[in-house]
Amino acid sequence: MTTNIPTAHVKAAPATERKNYLNVTNTFMSWAGTLDHKRIGIMYLVGVSAAFLVGGLFALLIRLHLWNHTGALFHTANGTSDNHLYNQIFTLHGAFMVFMFIIPAIPASLGNMVLPLMLGAKDVALPRLNLLSFYLWVGGTALALYAIIAGGFDTGWTFYAPYSLYTDQAVVAIGLGIFVLGFSSIFTGLNFIVTTHKLRAPGLSWFRMPLFIWAIYATAILQVLATPVLGITVLLVALERMYGVGIFDPRLGGDPVLFQHFFWFYSHPAVYIMILPAMGVISEMITVHSRKPLFGYKMIAFSSLAIAIISFLVWGHHMFTSGQSTYAMFAFSFLTFFVGIPTAIKEFSWVATVWKGSIALNAPMLYALSFLIIFAIGGLTGIILGALSVDIHLHDTYFVVAHFHYVMMGSTALGFFAGLHHWWPKMFGRMYSETAAKIACALIFIGFNATFIPQFIMGSRGMPRRYATYVPEFQDFHRASTIGALILGAGVALMVGYLVHSLFAGKRAMQNQWGGVTLDWMTPTPPPLENFLEQPVVTNEVYDYSTLDLKTLTTPAS
Amino acid sequence: MSNDHDSHAVVLPAPGPEFLPHTVAHHFDTSEQEFQAAKLGFWLFLATEILLFGGLFAAYFYFHENYPETFKRGGAQLNWILGALNTTVLLISSWTMAMGVRSAQTSQKRKMLLYLGLTALGAVTFLVVKFFEYKAKYDHGLMPGRFFTDEHGLMGDVPFAPQFFSIYFTATGLHGLHVLVGLCLILWIIKGGARGRFHANYYLPVDLVGLYWHLVDLIWIFLFPLLYLVP
Amino acid sequence: MSAPPKAHATHGAAAAATGHDSEHPHHIASAALFLRVLIALLILTGITVGSSRIDFGGANMLISMVIACIKASLVIAIFMHVWWDTAINKIFFLGSFLFLSLLFTFTLADYATRGRDEQMHRIKAPVDKQWVHLPVTGKQEH
Repeated sequence: MTTNIPTAHVKAAPATERKNYLNVTNTFMSWAGTLDHKRIGIMYLVGVSAAFLVGGLFALLIRLHLWNHTGALFHTANGTSDNHLYNQIFTLHGAFMVFMFIIPAIPASLGNMVLPLMLGAKDVALPRLNLLSFYLWVGGTALALYAIIAGGFDTGWTFYAPYSLYTDQAVVAIGLGIFVLGFSSIFTGLNFIVTTHKLRAPGLSWFRMPLFIWAIYATAILQVLATPVLGITVLLVALERMYGVGIFDPRLGGDPVLFQHFFWFYSHPAVYIMILPAMGVISEMITVHSRKPLFGYKMIAFSSLAIAIISFLVWGHHMFTSGQSTYAMFAFSFLTFFVGIPTAIKEFSWVATVWKGSIALNAPMLYALSFLIIFAIGGLTGIILGALSVDIHLHDTYFVVAHFHYVMMGSTALGFFAGLHHWWPKMFGRMYSETAAKIACALIFIGFNATFIPQFIMGSRGMPRRYATYVPEFQDFHRASTIGALILGAGVALMVGYLVHSLFAGKRAMQNQWGGVTLDWMTPTPPPLENFLEQPVVTNEVYDYSTLDLKTLTTPAS
Repeated sequence: MSNDHDSHAVVLPAPGPEFLPHTVAHHFDTSEQEFQAAKLGFWLFLATEILLFGGLFAAYFYFHENYPETFKRGGAQLNWILGALNTTVLLISSWTMAMGVRSAQTSQKRKMLLYLGLTALGAVTFLVVKFFEYKAKYDHGLMPGRFFTDEHGLMGDVPFAPQFFSIYFTATGLHGLHVLVGLCLILWIIKGGARGRFHANYYLPVDLVGLYWHLVDLIWIFLFPLLYLVP
Repeated sequence: MSAPPKAHATHGAAAAATGHDSEHPHHIASAALFLRVLIALLILTGITVGSSRIDFGGANMLISMVIACIKASLVIAIFMHVWWDTAINKIFFLGSFLFLSLLFTFTLADYATRGRDEQMHRIKAPVDKQWVHLPVTGKQEH
């Protein structure tokens, strides 16, 4: 018997609910000590979602404070704006979002859940390392929480030297937390690379793999190669604070620009660690919900690798006003434009896929279509910022803030939401309310754009970032942005609400809710502990919808 | 059509009475798959170590370019004989480790334990020599960062004299930490090896610890000339 | 992928498809080779120390780095078995050095080309212009 026909196994299931990975055991230790990638994925999902909500809360605090140009929320004893507290809040927003949410989110939650299923494997290659990765995430987060209690940190998430060396804040604690979180990321990436190379099902050649796998694979390469440099950077900052080693401190003969080189050598590839998995998710959404094979499959696959490689060559574009040599800046600016090419290839291929497809406008697809629009804006504004002469004026303004929120929140987070909704029935066997989902998607789309379009305008007119107060000219823009943020927050709250509700009272999902033809949909919903009842053998090309058994779309999950 | 996943377990037999069999992890189909997966994973981990230390080397090259006098004077404070001794010790221990892996691959249990024991001895020797080196620096006040006192004025008036020792202690300290971890791993392998876990059919952990130890040696191969042999 | 059910061997097909079988032997290097490599490494160390005693100026660093690279290559290829290893392991491990070189190259290139900026600016932008006073557009709050 080759791949599973889920209906056959549904019929064979006993009258009581079939044992799947969720209910096969239910002690605390069977979850806390699990080696099952699906359970680890669920635990990660809870963790990163909590981090997202905490980071989002900080964002709302920022936006509320900026309601008035004199600062509306945080005040010192004599009524003026408490800039120190504001600095801490935006630092927390950045640190939580970047290190605890966005970098792990899609790979560790959706990737863990879906990658072995898509490969036809029983688990990831190194299950114990997978569990360790999760506990490192927990440990790093605990250290970050401790750092907050120990006084907080106000350096911005980029903790540039020399300020991060001098400020009397809990920089060492958060630095250590980031170090630990970094290893969580490294081990996850390592695991996925090995799994993709060694645990593919028979017949699953590289060019039959779903594009989500290609994206996760390219991400994993970045995680493994780039994160260690962040590790050594954080270590050196910690040593410098504790022992004054003088690598980055100019008073001791060090160089702050060297810090920036080290920091951005990781942090630029890091932003591709964030976006590549989201692009992988979107690839899956576009094909399944248009029920059409992806246009330019190989080009999309190769473009993931191209983006990964090019991302190592452009980090200096974050440092155009830092005092680099002009020649270095020319080189970085020139190379930055190249990353637009593989990115554009993806965008055009997705649009070409949707064209004349059989489009289902359900929640995952709505998020995916939103991604296409928002990511186009985010990517193009990135190219604008990559132009050296322009960036000299736009650096450290709200234009940059808007750009990276378009690609991180508007694109990566939306990709995460899309994947969450798409694989929700597979993970839990339950469906969320499609109506509520559409409303939430609309609120998120409108709220998001309302938040950040004013920021593009403000930034181009000179509003600096990370300022707790500002000139009155920008107040209307800030207020519009704050209103947008509240709408966005409402949309997210609604989303959390109906998703959690669906776990308890959601309708039973279908075996193959959306009509996918990748291996993850060829196993019972929710999957059994060992993923597949028999070893699947792949004989068809990827995204071959002629093989779709339409009965599975209307057969309830067991 | 078979559904027998539980009887799937692949067992690698022990090649002799002094050895133990090995059961392949359940999510792998063959022992070769397990072997290659673990190896690839470990090589990726070693790649991260290369990038980690690489950052330190980048910092070294930058400061050496900017303050050549400081690095020349600082390097002269280090005992190149002890450095060369440590280099020799590590190189020999790399050899004994390679021989130890080879003995595991050929099911020669006693030779394996002997070579691994010698490797552990090399690790201990390295750490002891380093201790004496560090102590000598401490006695002269040639310490990193804010602990730098240079009681005997050995660094003269070179710019940012503590800089050299900050880099020296950070680099050799991080490396020394890896030597310590390596020592613990070797002792763990000796313990398992004494029980007979490792033989021609299953020597994977010995192989991987060996790779780790060679990496430790590799890093020192570069650290030694850069720190000790600045002319 | 959901082809009509056919009888397929599981383990055999799985093993063949992944390209490995349990009896595939791994290369075992000879003890003599290991010993020769050790001797070479010790000799090279001696040369490094010796050459550092002689002042070749800037070339000293180059010589010691070149010798270190040769020693590293021997350890990697022979002791770490990379010479006989699979292509993918080779690519990943040696590739890491490639990416490391990106960090070195771009960072050091930045520092190496810093000095030349003054020449460029002198030609393009004369610095003795009068500062233009911009109109103040509103009160700055702190």
